Amino acid sequence: MIETIFFEEEIYEHPTTERIRRALPRAGWVPIDRYQELFNKRHQNFKLQKKNPALILAKKHDNFVLPVPSGFGMDSHKSFYFSHMYNCLYDCKYCFLQGMYSSANFVLFVNYEDFFTSISEKIDKYNGKTLTFFSGYDCDSLAFDKLSGFADEALNFFSDFPNTELELRTKSIAISSLLQRRALSNCIVAFSLSPAEIAKSLDSKAPSISRRISAIKQLAGAGWKIGLRFDPLIYTSDWKELYSALFADIMNGLDPERIHSISYGPLRFPKKMYKKAASLHTEHKLFAFPMEETNGVVSYGTKIETQMHDFLKSELNNYISENKIFQCTI
Amino acid sequence: MSEFTDVENNTELQFKFCWVTALRAEATPLIDAFNMKIVENKSLFPIYANEEKGHALVISGIGSIKSAAAATFLKNHLKINDHSAWINFGIAGFFKGPIGDIYQANKVVSKESGAAFFPGLRLSKLIPAAILFTVSKPENGYKEKVLYDMEAAGFCEMAPSFSCNELTYVIKIVSDTPSASSSLITKHLVRELIEKQLSKISDILAEIEILVEEEKKRLSIPNEVIEFEKRFKFTETNKYKFREIYRKWKIAFPSKRLDLSEFLNSQPKEIILRLEKEVLLNAEDWNAL
Ligand code: SF4
Repeated sequence: MIETIFFEEEIYEHPTTERIRRALPRAGWVPIDRYQELFNKRHQNFKLQKKNPALILAKKHDNFVLPVPSGFGMDSHKSFYFSHMYNCLYDCKYCFLQGMYSSANFVLFVNYEDFFTSISEKIDKYNGKTLTFFSGYDCDSLAFDKLSGFADEALNFFSDFPNTELELRTKSIAISSLLQRRALSNCIVAFSLSPAEIAKSLDSKAPSISRRISAIKQLAGAGWKIGLRFDPLIYTSDWKELYSALFADIMNGLDPERIHSISYGPLRFPKKMYKKAASLHTEHKLFAFPMEETNGVVSYGTKIETQMHDFLKSELNNYISENKIFQCTI
Repeated sequence: MSEFTDVENNTELQFKFCWVTALRAEATPLIDAFNMKIVENKSLFPIYANEEKGHALVISGIGSIKSAAAATFLKNHLKINDHSAWINFGIAGFFKGPIGDIYQANKVVSKESGAAFFPGLRLSKLIPAAILFTVSKPENGYKEKVLYDMEAAGFCEMAPSFSCNELTYVIKIVSDTPSASSSLITKHLVRELIEKQLSKISDILAEIEILVEEEKKRLSIPNEVIEFEKRFKFTETNKYKFREIYRKWKIAFPSKRLDLSEFLNSQPKEIILRLEKEVLLNAEDWNAL
């Protein structure tokens, strides 16, 4: 549980701060000026910090909503991402956050209203076009939701814009705020999944695959649109059997109509990020594979990536029409 | 990159805890408790150590700059490794009593420069936390609800670069408050206050030691690698490549040892290539779990 909360004094009275104060009455509260003075300090040790991260409550001032990098989105229409939080409760070995930030502390930007204003401006600007907004780029969308209450506020906001999609990307089973309300037709709850054995080894602190699948089925049963994200794909000798079994488990009893989209993506790291992640998990087999490096990107290499791509595409076609399947290439 | 684990034969003694105290009176109870002996008394900063128990200590004198300088002196003098914990320990003023209470500083502010530091992982199960102001003149007003000292900010400026911020700690025992004037502090009182907290200090050290060991394991270079690097002239680039491929090779073949006699007539590049080949062959039937 969170023991220490650093807060920017400017947002001490903010309703989100108040909500967290009520939820964590025993935590120690420490005032700061700006979150960067703590979050961006040099000589932090991500791995040790991950043992007992603090929560930093901050106000975001700019860059609320950004265009997604090419290769990320589902198709041609305009897509954006936003991050109301930096860092994650979970500790996946391949997570790019560990290479991106020097701190493992959680930063929660409490001024959700400014994110929504910025999203409204985008909607106005692209009037008439279908836009998609991805949440959970620098965090997990739902893992912290019991504390942050973000999903509920985001869903309230997006319920006024039925032509604009919101994707909540998650590994969490904290879905109660979703189940307590009517499913929103423009919200996709997208779960990241791997075969159970792989997730057990790599997705530290995240809910097991069986619990994630059960959450998917509950949400689908309640009318929510589901996204399935097999990203990153992990190579191991029996990967075909493992992924086939995973697809079968997920689809067993799940109405394919409830599936909005499926995407998959290869395991890839920018070189610097790979080095950092490998130095944090020196003994993990994920970082012992003889990866290839091309143009500063470390990957399994074209041969394995193509094999996995071809297999996934044909295997997933057994369950769902091709136009709902996408490859993510970043 | 020096992140290996095969270190069972590495008998080199290493310091786990590096203490920086301002006053001799603060140092003495620690020197006694951990059976440290003087190793340097000719310089401005006396150093005490007990290699076997893993403790080293430097007495800095009063002031932020001295604290930073003494920590640096200790680091260089004993060639302290980069997985040791650094602890600024001593007495401090506080806005409330009782004297003798022990705190971990979770935020240290230099009143002179305004710089803020956030040392250490929180040890809240063991010790309460407080904000600490480092002042340049003794504080007798206790105007804010914080601890007051004269060293921690200087220490925090420097010590995280020796290992990391999560292995840098500021631990203070309350010696004076609005109702217990600093003019009453004596050597005897300091000793008494610290000795009363020695068992708590042991608990804290046990917790920090877990982190130290974890970092040690992550950063250690296996003896096999050291042997090879001594025997062959690796360029910096090849050294990096060798360590990286060795790491992968060792994970792939945990029970194998890299036998020097098999490579006696080899060039560094050939050693790297041979390991790469073995790792690649192994990957054909790769088990990622
Ligand atoms: S759930 Fe996502 S954001 Fe969280 S640690 Fe795993 S990969 Fe990173």
